[in-house]
Amino acid sequence: MDKVLHKKALPKWLKELESYEIYAPQENDDLWSFELVKSFEFLDSNYSNCIQSPKKIIFPQTETLLKFERLENGKLEVEEQLPEDRKKVIFGVRPCDAKALTLMDKVFTGDFEDLYYTKRRNQTTLVGLGCNTPPSPQCFCVSVGGSPHSNEGLDILMTDLEDKYYLQSFTAKGNELLILGKNIFEEPNPDEKSMLKRIHQEAKNKFKTKLREIEKIPDKLKGMFDSSFWDEEAMSCIRCGICTYLCPTCHCFDINDEVYSTSSLRGKRIRTWDTCQFPDFTMHSSGHNPRPDKASRLRQRIFHKFQYFVEKFNAYQCTGCGRCISKCPVGIDITEILEKVKNYGS
Amino acid sequence: MAFLCKWCSSAGSDLAGVSRMEYPPNAVPITVMCSGSVSPLYIFNAFKRGADGVLVSGCHPGDCHYIKGNYYARRRIALVKKLLEFIGLEPQRFQMSWVSAAEGLKYTQIIKDFVKEIKPLGPQTKLRREK
Amino acid sequence: MVNPEELKNEAKKALKEGKVKYIIGYRKKPEESMATPAFIRRAEDSEILIWDPTCVHNLVRFLSDEKRRRKREKNPEQRPVGIVIKGCDSRAINVLLQEKFIAREDVYLIGISCEDNGVIDEKKLRKKLNGRKAKRVDFKEGQELIIETEEGKIFLPAKEILAERCLECKVNFPIVYDVLLGDKTKRKPEKEFASVEKFDSLSTSQKWDFWKNQLEKCIRCYACRSVCPMCYCDECVVDTISFAVSADTTAEEKANKIKWIEKSPVLSENIVYHMVRAIHLAGRCVDCGECERACPVNIPLRLLNNKMEKEAKELFGYEAGLDSQQPSLVACFRDEDPQDFIR
Repeated sequence: MDKVLHKKALPKWLKELESYEIYAPQENDDLWSFELVKSFEFLDSNYSNCIQSPKKIIFPQTETLLKFERLENGKLEVEEQLPEDRKKVIFGVRPCDAKALTLMDKVFTGDFEDLYYTKRRNQTTLVGLGCNTPPSPQCFCVSVGGSPHSNEGLDILMTDLEDKYYLQSFTAKGNELLILGKNIFEEPNPDEKSMLKRIHQEAKNKFKTKLREIEKIPDKLKGMFDSSFWDEEAMSCIRCGICTYLCPTCHCFDINDEVYSTSSLRGKRIRTWDTCQFPDFTMHSSGHNPRPDKASRLRQRIFHKFQYFVEKFNAYQCTGCGRCISKCPVGIDITEILEKVKNYGS
Repeated sequence: MAFLCKWCSSAGSDLAGVSRMEYPPNAVPITVMCSGSVSPLYIFNAFKRGADGVLVSGCHPGDCHYIKGNYYARRRIALVKKLLEFIGLEPQRFQMSWVSAAEGLKYTQIIKDFVKEIKPLGPQTKLRREK
Repeated sequence: MVNPEELKNEAKKALKEGKVKYIIGYRKKPEESMATPAFIRRAEDSEILIWDPTCVHNLVRFLSDEKRRRKREKNPEQRPVGIVIKGCDSRAINVLLQEKFIAREDVYLIGISCEDNGVIDEKKLRKKLNGRKAKRVDFKEGQELIIETEEGKIFLPAKEILAERCLECKVNFPIVYDVLLGDKTKRKPEKEFASVEKFDSLSTSQKWDFWKNQLEKCIRCYACRSVCPMCYCDECVVDTISFAVSADTTAEEKANKIKWIEKSPVLSENIVYHMVRAIHLAGRCVDCGECERACPVNIPLRLLNNKMEKEAKELFGYEAGLDSQQPSLVACFRDEDPQDFIR
């Protein structure tokens, strides 16, 4: 379903969506993040992208899996805490972040369905905002098989046509939102359709593709596991967790029991994000750590994204959002490392 | 939550009990070997688990069983107190005192005053963790 | 003004003479405006070293990696590590020397004076340029900076884009060094602890509202900890990894294991993490500002650490990193330490 919406009519559409929990980019002290909001100021401002992707709404950084309590009769009660039924809409999702969710879907619905993830995922409608110009100088979605107006993972894609938005709906969930808008929308005319095509084509050309021929990388990596290449590249890494926590595709997690009282026993089992960059990520309870140094951890990150994931799911676990590059405190650039990998040994 | 050093303050609180002095039952005493051994982690965790107030009490300067422990405590607790105030916790909720083994009466007075000061503030919800 | 060629020559000399194992300095990637840390081992690589207002990083941070590397090697090489340091970084060296984390002969210090300038705050620069991209930033005489963009050069008064900590800098040339480049220009800093005093004038509930909003944002990426030269503990209080689990460890024991700070990034845990870090850094923080710069969600961490710095100075007459022979703040005491807060 294709529709056109005049920018001034946007608040009217919002009113019709009151049955949904609405998330949109919200600015706070120069920092954009997806929050529960009632205003759409981001559409008029110099919004580029939120510091954290919508992953944090569908796969929250901390969530309770179950509660446990030893009752007075001595019985241990365990209660699953699945997410409650709540329809959500997230506006302002860039195509790279939406594609990232399709990659996470492969992990959480593969051999085993993670109900905590799928429940939220299925109840969330994603309304994307296409990138007429690259949001950040570090964007490289086109290098990893993405595109600034891709609809992968999106239910609706909004393209900015100066004074209006061209809305394209690709799923039943997206259609539902458009139907709720009733006659706020207009049917697109041929001029608008050709403007859309033009904008989409021009946008692709504006991306300076730093990284090319990425297909060569998975095989190259296979022969580099024991190389000292990683020691040199990881010299400036400070092993914080920024690259992984801001990455829209990273999904490793830790499960801990938070015990609130030991007599009588009461607590929660909580899942939180974890990162392969922390030294104790692979620490065994025997004390052995198979990845004791920064080099092995950096290698793990690159391999996971561009070798293991490719072998398992036939896709790169990276959508080119560029957050890891712009927020790394020491300026480590994944595209630079990948270029070096590609040319390694030649 | 009252962290009392074993040699002076805890003994002082025992004296108050043995002498049948009356004072509010709100203080949960924890005996530590020395006020200097009270780590900021104990204090922050006490508040995290819902303590409405925390008291650290040790021997008077010069009387420490371990000679210098209470001097270190004096420094460290001063820093913790300033930090808690800076975060926005009401200053009355965190206090320190010197109570010797003979000062049972002083101990009861300290607890009485403490309870009187923090009761009007209500329960401590800022640093308390959510269930 | 410091001539970057001098820096390259000093590095080249040290490497050629075999004085150092490698040198930690700054380099710049061709497309980027900000410097990044560089590790050079061969004398000819010294050509990539730079010195300009984008050299914000505190390279002393990498000395803890060097120490860990040495621990893992069977026959560790004993030559020192060369490191390029600014005034603030030299204070960090002093603190590490004072705590005997490193020995003086483990480092070869190439000191550079910021003279009357400092390093920039990238966020301020970006705001000033309003969409234009900076290709490079250079020092200029008279407290000015030259910013080169695609459209040409812009001259800005340094004050407008220098990092906040540089505006409050007390030590703008290294106080410990093996080689010093640049003049020991004494600088008149702005009023000491001005931002802390301003914050202290707020009411208790205003302070709480401020910190509640700020610390709710924390995602516990631990970048603040990772980038700090003084946070070198092998096991941090948040990690609690040393809990030996044997075949006989009961569920009871596991449940009773002391975990000071839970992993979930909820407000209560975030507050304890940041407060404990502030206390652990009391009397050790040298205000290099890296924690605040690295934070991806813009939490004003300097404010917390500066408060501890202020209290250390006012209550105990203590300043971190000026004397490598002084005892640490909480391992010493004076008879006249204030005790008016004690009943």
